[in-house]
Amino acid sequence: MNSNPNNSTLGKQIGLTCCPTCNKVTCAESACCSRCDTKLTIRDYASLQKSWALLITAAILLIPANLYPITTLTNQGKVTQDTIFSGIAHLVKTDMIPIAIILFTASILVPLLKIIGLTIYLTAISFKLPISKKNLMIGFHIIEWIGRWSMLDLFVISLTVAVVNMGQLLDAKPAPAATAFALVILLTQLAAKVIDTRLLWDRLESKNDSRTNT
Amino acid sequence: MASDALDNSVTLCRSCDLVIRKRALPTGVRALCPRCHTQLYDTPYCSINGMLALCITAIIFFFPANTYPVLELEFLGSMRTTTVLEGAIAVYQQGYWVVAIAVMTAAVIAPGILLVSILVQIVIIKYGLQHSFLRSVLKQALKLQGLLTQLTMLEIYVISFLVAAFNLADFATVSFGFGTFCFTMLFIMNLFLLREYDLEHMWSFLEQ
Repeated sequence: MNSNPNNSTLGKQIGLTCCPTCNKVTCAESACCSRCDTKLTIRDYASLQKSWALLITAAILLIPANLYPITTLTNQGKVTQDTIFSGIAHLVKTDMIPIAIILFTASILVPLLKIIGLTIYLTAISFKLPISKKNLMIGFHIIEWIGRWSMLDLFVISLTVAVVNMGQLLDAKPAPAATAFALVILLTQLAAKVIDTRLLWDRLESKNDSRTNT
Repeated sequence: MASDALDNSVTLCRSCDLVIRKRALPTGVRALCPRCHTQLYDTPYCSINGMLALCITAIIFFFPANTYPVLELEFLGSMRTTTVLEGAIAVYQQGYWVVAIAVMTAAVIAPGILLVSILVQIVIIKYGLQHSFLRSVLKQALKLQGLLTQLTMLEIYVISFLVAAFNLADFATVSFGFGTFCFTMLFIMNLFLLREYDLEHMWSFLEQ
């Protein structure tokens, strides 16, 4: 085997594949993994379409999630509705900058960057864009890891709603954007999970190969 | 080379399919794929008894963490408290069941099943590897493990206590309840448990 990472053997060239569930290396001819009985495929080409579909849905839902109010607050009879952004703006005004930064990162920055990042990633695979694979992969690992932190806002809403219910005096309720926001998190997490990342390395590799051959 | 792989001296990177020859690693070092920097394997520091102890402790904390109040709010002399479960139920009663399911799954159901699953796995590995039925239970538990760890979001919930408390400090006096302590302990136990846990190592018990 060659130690140079730029031209080394791939599993599919020597008839081996890696089980997606338990990571056991098996012969590519066998239909099921010998250890955990998962169905084996050398590459999951349909994963690109699934991921695009989930990502586009998430991107559409991101609009209502940010435009509609996410909480309804009744304070001494006065009803105010807060969107994600106005909630954070309110925190900045009341000098709670650290909390505002946490919420801004978790509920605006992370979902947005995730959708943009995954779009770049999927376009790079689908249309063979000349972007450094290493950078794409680093970005992908970050997206996979940080995505779950968006759940923070939903947890805060559920705690607030449960603890603040005193009729007309002080009352907090969720508002329509909460559902949209929950779906955005769910769909982007799924979109990142279904991609067969090996496709990225295949597709761009074949392009580089053809360039060196000619 | 194909035969090499089957006796475990070669591995494949699961993100980019690169063939990698395995080498022995010192403890605390993990192998990364040279091409895409995905984590490949490390020397498992996976003591079954240590995991059992952590797992039981975590299960003990699990119940008070979910039944004792986590936030207490005092407003015009009246006291409101909430538990983790009540938080999810309150959102559900407002008709936001998607949010309620997300909160329930991430904070209560997934961590609960995860702990029970790890306990069952450890017990089977210690006492029941000869039975074919128990082996198939272990196999199913190991297959679910990845999903369960992904759905468990205890660390995020702990941060959300703080955010919610600071958020509400504007309107009323907020204090943390006994549940917060238990929930934080549950999170710490879970953290250390998953640091000990090595999926590859657990799979290897099935191959013996």
